[in-house]
Amino acid sequence: MTANGTRQIAWVFDLNKCIGCQTCSVACKVLWTRDEGEKHEWWCSVNTQPGLGTPKNWEQMGGGVEATTGKPKAGHQPARGEFGGGFDFNYYEVFYGGTAGKAHLEPQAPREDRWAMNWDEDQGAGEWPNSYFFYLPRICNHCTNPVCMEACPTGALSKRDDGLVLRDEDVCMGDRFCMEACPYKKIYFNYERHVGQHCIGCFPRIEAGVAPACVRQCPGRAVFVGYLDEEGTPVHDLVKKWKIALPLHAEAGTGPNVFYVPPLSPHRLNDDMSIDYETPRIPREYLESLFGPEVNGALATLSGEMQKVREGGSSDVCKTLIAYKWKELLGPFTVDPADIVQTV
Amino acid sequence: MKVAKVNAGTDLADPAAPAWSSVAAEAVALAPVALAAQPTEYIRVAWANRPYGKTAEAKVAAASDGSKLYVRVEWADDAKPNTEFQDAVGAVLGDGSLATLGDANSPLTLWYWENGRGALNLTAKGPGIFSKAGAGVTGTGANGNGKWAAVLSGPASAAKGKLGVAVWNGSNEERAGLAAVSRAWLALE
Repeated sequence: MTANGTRQIAWVFDLNKCIGCQTCSVACKVLWTRDEGEKHEWWCSVNTQPGLGTPKNWEQMGGGVEATTGKPKAGHQPARGEFGGGFDFNYYEVFYGGTAGKAHLEPQAPREDRWAMNWDEDQGAGEWPNSYFFYLPRICNHCTNPVCMEACPTGALSKRDDGLVLRDEDVCMGDRFCMEACPYKKIYFNYERHVGQHCIGCFPRIEAGVAPACVRQCPGRAVFVGYLDEEGTPVHDLVKKWKIALPLHAEAGTGPNVFYVPPLSPHRLNDDMSIDYETPRIPREYLESLFGPEVNGALATLSGEMQKVREGGSSDVCKTLIAYKWKELLGPFTVDPADIVQTV
Repeated sequence: MKVAKVNAGTDLADPAAPAWSSVAAEAVALAPVALAAQPTEYIRVAWANRPYGKTAEAKVAAASDGSKLYVRVEWADDAKPNTEFQDAVGAVLGDGSLATLGDANSPLTLWYWENGRGALNLTAKGPGIFSKAGAGVTGTGANGNGKWAAVLSGPASAAKGKLGVAVWNGSNEERAGLAAVSRAWLALE
């Protein structure tokens, strides 16, 4: 708990366990973004890395704060086409058009305009046999220093005592400075309702003791949620104690509260197909560009803990990441949503 | 500025309505809302080296049919394509700091029309510090021949106060406090 009595809900995604199945994305989608103007919105998205991401090229769009001065940095407002998606598809033609074997499902948009969340799925980088990729789930980082909130002229954004950054859509005038200022480009614009929208941390579920949908629905047990200050819990221990869960692009200076266990990597293969045990297939520089130099220590710790287990020892780190007990992923939010009695 | 009196039922909502041809329009000089007055550090940083509010002049006319005040504003369209942001215009009413579109102590009324979005009745407490203030305002706009013409209308009670106008150039991503606003109030009479 901080000096002013506030806490911070945080997430940890284990990138060694994320299989890119998009169950978190879809769990979020069906819960929160099925209304008008939300077709293209994926508050939770999973992209193949290396890749252009969601929105396209978001890592080059600026925003965040200057490390030295703390001043906000100008950013680009992602345009509708850069998010892409929300396409109509030729369902009728494929299912009823008598075109079996000829027509296939495709977006009804010019080929050059086709882009969407995870559009470059599994492309990754590198040359065979040393090609590589991994999956990166992203939600709003519910930052400690939310530049979106500062940027908003109408005061539509606020940070709650539990750390979630929320928006009052009745106050939002759709000015989109928040979208520019956010270094993670995780705010969408609803063109129908003329308001910005982003991950709300499933706050109605949180208030009822239920874990966010992205966490509870993950079939890979790859994501943890909890309070960052609660010692002895997976989120606290992975981030604060073992330091193997790291923020994404911490250099943006906003204090993100979504953390990632970085991906381990298979070894490179030499030209004669022998194994180069010294060189990870995912270039370390690439991981440093995402997670900072701390990624080296995190991966060393992780490898060391795994080695302990291989040698017959015990590792609390490995036990935590394996998540033998599913409810440990849910932090204090273990209520079954089926048990909630709606009182509206 | 003289508010022309017209008979009830006269079409004034359409900026191309014939009735407007007999209403005198006044050329009003506009100036950008000062960067220093912009309400957040992000906006001041992001726009420090970006010109905005460069629409220099608008032609303004006002008329009333006894129940509503109609304000017609005409201004040059830069004809550049608008993508994420749209051209918009506002009729500013009240008594306070016009150059900053109001302030916390002296909020102004802003009848706002945006291409593709329609009209909003807003309260302005500073550049971009706008909030919705209920229904009662309508607006229509059309562009052609390199210019926009729009009509905003609201309760006739506003016809006895002061009027200013503001213009947002959508192709330059102008919105909120990033506007050109009239340099001085027009006293409606």
